[in-house]
Amino acid sequence: MIEFNDVSKVYANGTRALQHLNLYVDKGEFVFIVGSSGAGKSTFLKLIMCEEKPTSGQILLNGQEISNAKRREIPYIRRKMGIVFQDFRLIDTMTVFDNVAFAMRVTGASYYDIKKRVPYILGLVGLQHKARHKPTELSGGERQRVGLARALVNNPSIIIADEPTGNIDPALSFEIVDLLSEINLRGTTVLMVTHEHSLVKHFNRRIIQIHSGQIVADTQQPVVQPAD
Amino acid sequence: MKIYSLGYLLKEGIRSLWTNRTMTLASVCVLISCLLLTGTAVLFSMNIATAMKDVENSNSITVYLDDNLPALKAVEVGEQLRQLDNIATCDYVPKDEALKDILEGMGDEGSVFEGLTGSDNFLPDAYRISFEDISKYDETIAAIESLEGVNKYTDYSEIIDRLNSIDNMVRIFGVVVVAVLGVVSLFIIANTIKVTMFSRRLEISIMKSVGATDMFVRIPFIVEGMLIGLISSLLSTLIIGLAYVRIMDAIVNVIPFFTPVVMDTFFWPMMGCFVLAGLLFGMMGGLISIRRYLKHEGSLAVA
Repeated sequence: MIEFNDVSKVYANGTRALQHLNLYVDKGEFVFIVGSSGAGKSTFLKLIMCEEKPTSGQILLNGQEISNAKRREIPYIRRKMGIVFQDFRLIDTMTVFDNVAFAMRVTGASYYDIKKRVPYILGLVGLQHKARHKPTELSGGERQRVGLARALVNNPSIIIADEPTGNIDPALSFEIVDLLSEINLRGTTVLMVTHEHSLVKHFNRRIIQIHSGQIVADTQQPVVQPAD
Repeated sequence: MKIYSLGYLLKEGIRSLWTNRTMTLASVCVLISCLLLTGTAVLFSMNIATAMKDVENSNSITVYLDDNLPALKAVEVGEQLRQLDNIATCDYVPKDEALKDILEGMGDEGSVFEGLTGSDNFLPDAYRISFEDISKYDETIAAIESLEGVNKYTDYSEIIDRLNSIDNMVRIFGVVVVAVLGVVSLFIIANTIKVTMFSRRLEISIMKSVGATDMFVRIPFIVEGMLIGLISSLLSTLIIGLAYVRIMDAIVNVIPFFTPVVMDTFFWPMMGCFVLAGLLFGMMGGLISIRRYLKHEGSLAVA
């Protein structure tokens, strides 16, 4: 599914964000990625999303090398992933329905498909009755569920959640992770970046800990430290 | 690009046009003034050209021969005139005929001079000449003057010179003004669209993160620019259409012998050019502003 082979990222200003990262996430896995801020989590996500290119090493998604993807190939790679943001990233002037439909329009979906698919996905996250509401009329937990619906609507093979519970009540955080687990049960790989230990402990899943640009702990695979 | 998307993208372009109506209005106004000035300069040039044609056509200058030049010599001068370059026609006008023309032109009052026929006729014999190319006027006149037996000629060179210099001035001035305004309107359109883009940067970043192609992101902005161009070009055509007839009427009132270019001959081509130029400018404005944006922050999906 996702494979990092000896991936390093050094920014132009000399910051070594990731160093010799090796990682394999299988299809259908649910992985928590934890680490303090500045550990390299954001760089990790940016690399997966092709927003940055690694300085060395290669990244594979479904067997396809994405670390040297051409600019025009990137949109099609991103359509295979659904992204959930910490700050929801909803458009306040659009209704819940349109916020979700928006992601489908981008891919050139027909009006008919949108009309059929969006209510179904909103039902999945339990928000079909709020379709006509604006995001500003929703609670934080509900907004994140809209964000989740948008990530899911194009039927991605992987969901990447960047601290999805960071901006909502702790009580509601469990709800979101529950939803992600449910989605995971349907076969979608889930990669969730977080630093909420209570969540990680509660959901007994694979945990990868990143520190100073290196994987320091992986509950599933033994960590092989680079030689240097 | 799928066909379903096109309607949506068009709608998005129109939406941002309305959301940014102040900037839209500014762009439209500048583009209109640019088009109006171009149109005015071109129309001015066209009218000067027809005026010059008029002068050219009516410009059969009259070359008067020396008094009492023997008839044989007069025929000889005629031959020499015909052999010169740049002479289209050359007709002999005997003094009797010239007098008759004048008398006819004077109507009843002409009868006073009826006694001046024959040897009392004070007019010289003459040749009426028209040129092939009016711009070679000076050279041709010099050649005519050098012929023996030629006394004098009627002179139109001043009018031609003046028309020529006005036309040149308008052309140069027009090109400069239009070039400056063109750059200004491109700049303003690009900035209008940049404002739209700035207000929609969240949308753009979400679009990029869910896998929108650059083209998909670009189209609404190009549509916005092209709509600005289209609106401006149609309004400019309307303004020129309404103003031209009135202005030409006023000019004809002052200069009765001036025949302006008829609007039917240029209206549709002008509208076509305006629309084409408007669309092109709008598109370029849109492309300029989006290009840099997409290259840098526009591709950031996470940050």
